[in-house]
Amino acid sequence: MNKIGIIIGREFNERVRKKSFIITTILMPLLMIGLMAAPTLMMLFAKGDTKTFVVLDESGVIAPKLSGDKEVIFSTEDCTLEQARAKEDIFGVLWIGADIVDNPTSAKLYTNSSSSMSLESNIASQMERIIEQERLKRYEIDNLEQIIEDVKANVTLTTYRNDLQEEGKEEEATSSGVAYLLGLVLGMMLYMFLLIYGSMVMTSVIEEKGSRVLDVLVSSVKPFELMLGKILGVASVAVTQIAIWAVLVCGLSAAVLPSLMPEDMMQTVAAVEAGTITSAQAGIDADMLSAVALATDPVRLVMMFVWLMLFLVGGFLFYSAMFAAVGSAVDSIQDANQLQTPITIPIILALILAMSVFNDPDSALAFWGSVIPFTSPVVMMARIPFGIPTWQIVLSLVVLYISVAGMAWVAGKIYRVGVFMHGKKPSLKELLMWIKQ
Amino acid sequence: MDILQIENVTKRYSAHTALSDVSLAVPEGSIYGLLGPNGAGKSTLIRVVNRITLPDAGRVLFQGKPITDEDIYRIGYLPEERGLYKKMKVGEQAIFFARLKGLSRREAIARLKTWFIRFGIEDWWNRKVEDLSKGMAQKVQFITTVLHEPKLLIFDEPFSGFDPINANLLKQEILRLRDEGATVIFSTHNMASVEEICDHITLINKSRNILSGSTDEVRRRFGENIFEVVFEGATERLRDGLKPYVEVLDEAAVADSSLNQMRIRLNDGVSLRESIAAANEAVELRSFREVIPSMNDIFIKAVEGKL
Repeated sequence: MNKIGIIIGREFNERVRKKSFIITTILMPLLMIGLMAAPTLMMLFAKGDTKTFVVLDESGVIAPKLSGDKEVIFSTEDCTLEQARAKEDIFGVLWIGADIVDNPTSAKLYTNSSSSMSLESNIASQMERIIEQERLKRYEIDNLEQIIEDVKANVTLTTYRNDLQEEGKEEEATSSGVAYLLGLVLGMMLYMFLLIYGSMVMTSVIEEKGSRVLDVLVSSVKPFELMLGKILGVASVAVTQIAIWAVLVCGLSAAVLPSLMPEDMMQTVAAVEAGTITSAQAGIDADMLSAVALATDPVRLVMMFVWLMLFLVGGFLFYSAMFAAVGSAVDSIQDANQLQTPITIPIILALILAMSVFNDPDSALAFWGSVIPFTSPVVMMARIPFGIPTWQIVLSLVVLYISVAGMAWVAGKIYRVGVFMHGKKPSLKELLMWIKQ
Repeated sequence: MDILQIENVTKRYSAHTALSDVSLAVPEGSIYGLLGPNGAGKSTLIRVVNRITLPDAGRVLFQGKPITDEDIYRIGYLPEERGLYKKMKVGEQAIFFARLKGLSRREAIARLKTWFIRFGIEDWWNRKVEDLSKGMAQKVQFITTVLHEPKLLIFDEPFSGFDPINANLLKQEILRLRDEGATVIFSTHNMASVEEICDHITLINKSRNILSGSTDEVRRRFGENIFEVVFEGATERLRDGLKPYVEVLDEAAVADSSLNQMRIRLNDGVSLRESIAAANEAVELRSFREVIPSMNDIFIKAVEGKL
């Protein structure tokens, strides 16, 4: 055991001191915070210049009813289309045909520079509303506008989870939009960690084998201890990185985000969290509220990181054992490409499964995908933000960690034979033979 | 007492046999040379001893018992190809290997300091291995191999990559290790080093042990009754006087003197005493000594099958 400790220590020290490790460790959380804060910040700061349109309305019914806002101003002028189009101090010209009420296509927009989709849909929807009103007038029913106003309904769903309900408190569920985003980020993160850190193990085994350091090492340590030491060493680097990120992200979001948010929004969020009002009553977009609530709640963030850490370590141990076995069997990274395909395919499959989870987080496919160890780390991390029963998470972890032991045993068999084989690249069949030996 | 015995070891690979029925015994406290041309099977034998390669047949005994992993962890092994982490600093790396061999960090640093000074490489401590030349890396690796003061040391081609000065330094160190009680096995094709420092040798050729024994004994065994006579007087007289006993191989005058010399081979059944007496009758003898073949000659002869 002592020797494994020495090997873990070497792996850890060598990797943590690398510049690339230090840089990614510091930059990633800043990027993540930026992504989390982006929607709020964009809402606060996204303001365009005010654009002026000259409206030439030949029907005479639309122009008086068009209303301008911060984005756009409508002005009516007495001039021909050609004169209006020649003007350079305006953004554009809106020409409306005389038969607009009967023929909604007889409208044209001339702009001096590129317009935007939101601008065009703003104008179009205003015109649609006006035309609809004009058409309704033709029916000559009294108080029709009033009637229509009465008929209109606006539904906002507030979701509650019966299965996750806490005693005496109605917990508003994380909105699906936020869960989707979070699941995507977590699933991707797991995927990338498995691939990057897994191939790190493989590369390092190949290097040791190629430089014949292995020959020296095995005169001091058992090959299995060597493999275990390397895998655990790299795992400890990954854990360190995630731990630093967790502290930075939780700390920053708890300390910085609330002060960036408008005061009244924070109060509303607090109220919704406490269960006194629903997000619909608060009149804020549910996704938005949910995101802010999560980003500013250290407890939920920490919980998320704990799950992340457990699945990351389990998934990493499971996959890196295979990566180590492949690394031991070949002499160069080029040779490894073909043999590592059976490893990378399940990881990619896991990511694809994770994507399908977003449609229905509780489907049978999603469940089994998050239990089978080849895909479970990625799929489960993608599911967790949707709020799934704890027993499923625990089951998934138990299966994963048992499989880790099995995989380490199998990989150890291959590793023990592989590290001393030089020359010809073994086939998959030969690898299976080594396991049976 | 033999510290290491190799008994009837055979190792086959799919295409060729690397070792066939090789046996040898390494006496404790000796310097044991494994000789042989490239591809003879020396490295395979060393790897079998180290349990890196398992033999198809035969066994290896360490201090009389079948060798175990624990035994391997106590010996010092210098592989033929340099096995050092390229990106790691020299000092840290040496400490790492020393700790794997069971030394504490403090003990390792203390011993390393002594060795680094002895080899004159103190200022390499913080350099990365990739910045060292092959010979320099070799020195570092040698130190990591001997640092834990193993009873048995196995060096695969320890002299390759060394200039004559450093090769000499290495020889002195190997002798010193032996004098301190270690047993040293090394493979080489550097015959000069074999003559100078080996107590015993084994010659392996085409996967077989074709010659084993102590260095002196082997050389005497290969003595072919050839003698060199240095004398004062006419060469013809000596030639005539010795005619019934010997075959004359060559004759020459000794430079810068009035002396002559002659190399002779005794005929079968002729005693050395008779020959010397006859020579003494004929001329005034200055010396009469046996010509013992160099290891180099023996090596070439043995390998070329002229035994």
